[in-house]
Amino acid sequence: MTPLLLAAFGFCAGLFGALMGVGGGLLVIPALTHLAGLRFSQAVAVSLTAIIVSSSASSASYVEKGLTDIRTGVVLELATVAGAVAASLLSSLIPQPVLLGLFALVAYYTAFASWRRRGRAGEGLSAGEYPVRRWGAGLAMSFAAGATSGLVGVGGGFLKVPAMSLVMGLPFKVATATSNFMIGVTAAASAYVYAARGELDLAATAPTVVGVYAGARLGARLLPHIPSARLQGAFAAVLAVVGTRIAFDAWSLLR
Amino acid sequence: MRRTVAAILHVGTAAGVGLCAAATLLYAVGSPQAVKVALLGVLALFGTPPLRLAAVARGFMAEREPRLALAALAVLSVLVAIAARAAYGYLL
Repeated sequence: MTPLLLAAFGFCAGLFGALMGVGGGLLVIPALTHLAGLRFSQAVAVSLTAIIVSSSASSASYVEKGLTDIRTGVVLELATVAGAVAASLLSSLIPQPVLLGLFALVAYYTAFASWRRRGRAGEGLSAGEYPVRRWGAGLAMSFAAGATSGLVGVGGGFLKVPAMSLVMGLPFKVATATSNFMIGVTAAASAYVYAARGELDLAATAPTVVGVYAGARLGARLLPHIPSARLQGAFAAVLAVVGTRIAFDAWSLLR
Repeated sequence: MRRTVAAILHVGTAAGVGLCAAATLLYAVGSPQAVKVALLGVLALFGTPPLRLAAVARGFMAEREPRLALAALAVLSVLVAIAARAAYGYLL
């Protein structure tokens, strides 16, 4: 029964991740800790592997359809990796609750901005059919996304999507497709470390990734048919939940 | 470049997920081979992001965009270094 439930949660996470450009760890981690009885660090390891699957499966379709802005993605990936490395080096110097609190504020602000500006993104545009602006701010947010990934073991899509759509002027669907393209690499870097530490539970990983794959493939088929305004509204709600989770983590560390 | 990158992503995930699906069935029937098959599946999945970075770097080189190719190679180098360090720690 548990493998079926894990596959079902994986399916929802894959669908959600492919549509929103995020990893879906919010769904997978609680399912793994409560249903499969994994420790939190083990659940993060499975979740990171699931992000690789969700990212690769959906990106394969988005790259074919011309929705992924590979040029922008490659440059931002560099900033993301630099952020992840910096976080791993500096995490002992900066109090973690302070960093997490800052990330929570950024998540709330971008949720508000995404909600206000929903529907203004260029509908139907493909990669390269728009001017990319404010590279400096986009790179800074990607750096922050990488740092968050290094600190809390997530893909960082919740910062990458607004960096590209709200700051750099990419159409929302191109931003989610490009974020999906990038988060697999960020997740892989953390997943290698967790796997080498022996945290990856293969019996839980196998059914979860099967579900994630099916969900991500379906999400990649649905994305072109869903209006951007609806996706942005849903994304704002997701960001509010992510912000609350990070704020809760910060509060738990302070107590 | 798009076709090559998409093909790598399709093949890498399909191979990894196919092996994980087989492993799930083997776990269900209690086969001792399940762990090995799942491990192979996970290795295929872990190998997909570096392979697609290499394909992107090669694609940009072919399109005479050396700076973008260099950016992809730099990310690939960091990823390989992290994997090597993790593997070294595991072997110790």
